[in-house]
Amino acid sequence: MTHVLPHLLNGLSLGLLFALIALGFMLIVGVMELINLAHGSLFALGAYFAMVIVAPDVAWLGAAGEAWLALPLSVRYVLAILVAPLLVAVVGMGLELCMRRTYGRKAEYGLLLTFGAALVIEETIRLVWGPSERYLQVPQAISGAFLFAGLVYSKYKLFAALFAMAAIALVWLLLERTPYGAIIKAGAHDSEMVRALGINLTRLRLLVFGLGAGLAGFAGIVLTPIWGLRPHVGIDAVIPAFLIIVLGGVGSFWGAVIGGILVGLAVGVTGAYAAEWSLLSMYLLLIAVVTVRARGLLGKKSALEA
Amino acid sequence: MERNRTETRLSRRSVLKAASALSAGAAMAFMGPWKFNRVHAAASDRPITIGLTSDASGQYANSGASDRRGMLMAIAEFNDRGGVLGRKVETVHIDTETTPATGSRVAERLITRHECAFLVGAVSSGVANAISQVAQKYGTVYLNTNSSSPTESGKNCHRVKFVWDGNGTNFAQAAVNNAISTYGTKWLLLTNDYVWGHNTSAATRMLVEEFGGEIIDEILVPQGTRDFSSMLLKVQQAAPQVVAAAVGGDDQKAMRQQVAQLGLGDSMAWINNQQDWPDVYGLPLDNLFGVFGTTWYWKLDLPGVAEFVQRYQAAYPDTRMRVPGNVFYNGYMATRELLAAVERAGSTNNRMVIRELEGLKVSAADRMQHDDAYMNPATHQMQQTIYLATANHGTEESDDMFRILSQSAPDQVRDAAADAACSMESLDDTPTYEM
Repeated sequence: MTHVLPHLLNGLSLGLLFALIALGFMLIVGVMELINLAHGSLFALGAYFAMVIVAPDVAWLGAAGEAWLALPLSVRYVLAILVAPLLVAVVGMGLELCMRRTYGRKAEYGLLLTFGAALVIEETIRLVWGPSERYLQVPQAISGAFLFAGLVYSKYKLFAALFAMAAIALVWLLLERTPYGAIIKAGAHDSEMVRALGINLTRLRLLVFGLGAGLAGFAGIVLTPIWGLRPHVGIDAVIPAFLIIVLGGVGSFWGAVIGGILVGLAVGVTGAYAAEWSLLSMYLLLIAVVTVRARGLLGKKSALEA
Repeated sequence: MERNRTETRLSRRSVLKAASALSAGAAMAFMGPWKFNRVHAAASDRPITIGLTSDASGQYANSGASDRRGMLMAIAEFNDRGGVLGRKVETVHIDTETTPATGSRVAERLITRHECAFLVGAVSSGVANAISQVAQKYGTVYLNTNSSSPTESGKNCHRVKFVWDGNGTNFAQAAVNNAISTYGTKWLLLTNDYVWGHNTSAATRMLVEEFGGEIIDEILVPQGTRDFSSMLLKVQQAAPQVVAAAVGGDDQKAMRQQVAQLGLGDSMAWINNQQDWPDVYGLPLDNLFGVFGTTWYWKLDLPGVAEFVQRYQAAYPDTRMRVPGNVFYNGYMATRELLAAVERAGSTNNRMVIRELEGLKVSAADRMQHDDAYMNPATHQMQQTIYLATANHGTEESDDMFRILSQSAPDQVRDAAADAACSMESLDDTPTYEM
């Protein structure tokens, strides 16, 4: 058991990070019934925005940049974590404005538009920041390693899992304990009724898309010190995000969280004992769950089901 | 009368036979046997077109850009001197997307539509292999500039393909014996689960066992792995003295970052097969752990190196990478030697160029390496100096990231297994052309 325990704990922390990646994706699918293929690009954009806030190009900003860099890294990092997701949220809202012409049409229109947006965002990143590998500095306090039961663990990974838990808790509070959350959930359940009750559905969609994009950006910032930063890093995020929401049940908050944790455990434990199966394990898990329960772990029952 | 008529009358069958023979003869005369039918404007003023088959997207996009810059600088230098055989050299680039299937399509298009005389470029071994199969079909000389799977000059060798980078076996030869005596005999292999990783780790395993070491475990890393924490925990539990990692591309970047966070780079010895310059340039030195191989470094204390760096900086003043690396170097050297071979051959005829390249010898001074280099005619791999390096922590200069630890002469690191595995097509079986 002592041999397995580190891998279970590691899988759990990995699962929380997967859940964080899927959270924004889940919100947009739940409320707008739209698969946002630009989720990964927004994830990458958040990391790049944070990189610029933490370490801006002095040659471009001049004295202001030097003054900014004189601030402690921890201050710049905290500001990056707060501001970069907001900037990504604004980009997401811009994308939602473009989406409006596709509402009420076939789902392919939305898919194609978000796919196109993903390509545009990734290419813009490449043009602005170049194709090469970049990195996001993190404060000394949350980097490095610690020793536990004879093994070395990453301090940052622990903090990343805590960040993920905080984000999950905040989204849960928003959905369950605020009137906005009630409207979002109602919008996901029956958008026509929400509109009939006089609620501005257009604004709701705008805000939900912004929130989903902001969460994608936040996940990008948290994951970058682990995965590294390159223009196409978003592809690494969008596939697990899609898989997790199908596994957990489309539109279900706890489905996304539990799905993320299960995927993390599967990848973490197979990574230790049959590493060559570690990536495949998440797909096998999905097949196993969907075979038994087509709507995912906590998905809503379809009207077609008896 | 009747008899005469019978003698002179042409039967339907004989007419058909004659027509068929005539058609076949005409077709032969028009097209020639397939393998001799591509002769276009040789000895004319028409530019020589080279197809650049480098990645501009996918996990080797960055290295592909560096590779391409090397090729373009070599071509620009020839054009500045009046071209090759009095003809200007032009290029067509199509993104191979770090995808073998795209590599095949791109090669087909460059050869048949753009009528490229030669193809140059590769970082991924899978892509290089796909391109070379198409190139062999048409007889088009192809330079694999930067992919380093031993299979490229081993079982996947081709008469038209020439490999310019050191391969996994060369780097393992340079590192293993030394590392066993310095760090210990208990080794663990971290292997990227695809052709390059498997072949490189197999070469390392063979050498470790040959020099008295022991492989205590091998962890297969699927391509696309971004979280290495479970594997790194397992590495700690196994407690090897040396970890030999054959993990490449974006996987390697993610792994390096996570090893650095854990400080494992200092607590056990790491042998990383090869470290491409574009993959590490601009990153913190902490990420550059262990010992790794390279074919060239911009700070080698050799004649011509500083001047080469200046030429790079003049040619690419706006590039973020302020100094050239091994990928650029290989792209440049391969292209330069190809064009020089065309000049020596006095023709773009592929068979003449192939013969020139098979007999290629380049002095150490010309290569800006420590030893003379030569093309192995049996495998078509350039035999060259292999360097071992580590992170250079004792410098103020941010671009001076490597500290060269040792160099091995070509024959010390020769990949004998490739000689045995390579069985290439004969020159007579290779279609010929002249552009």
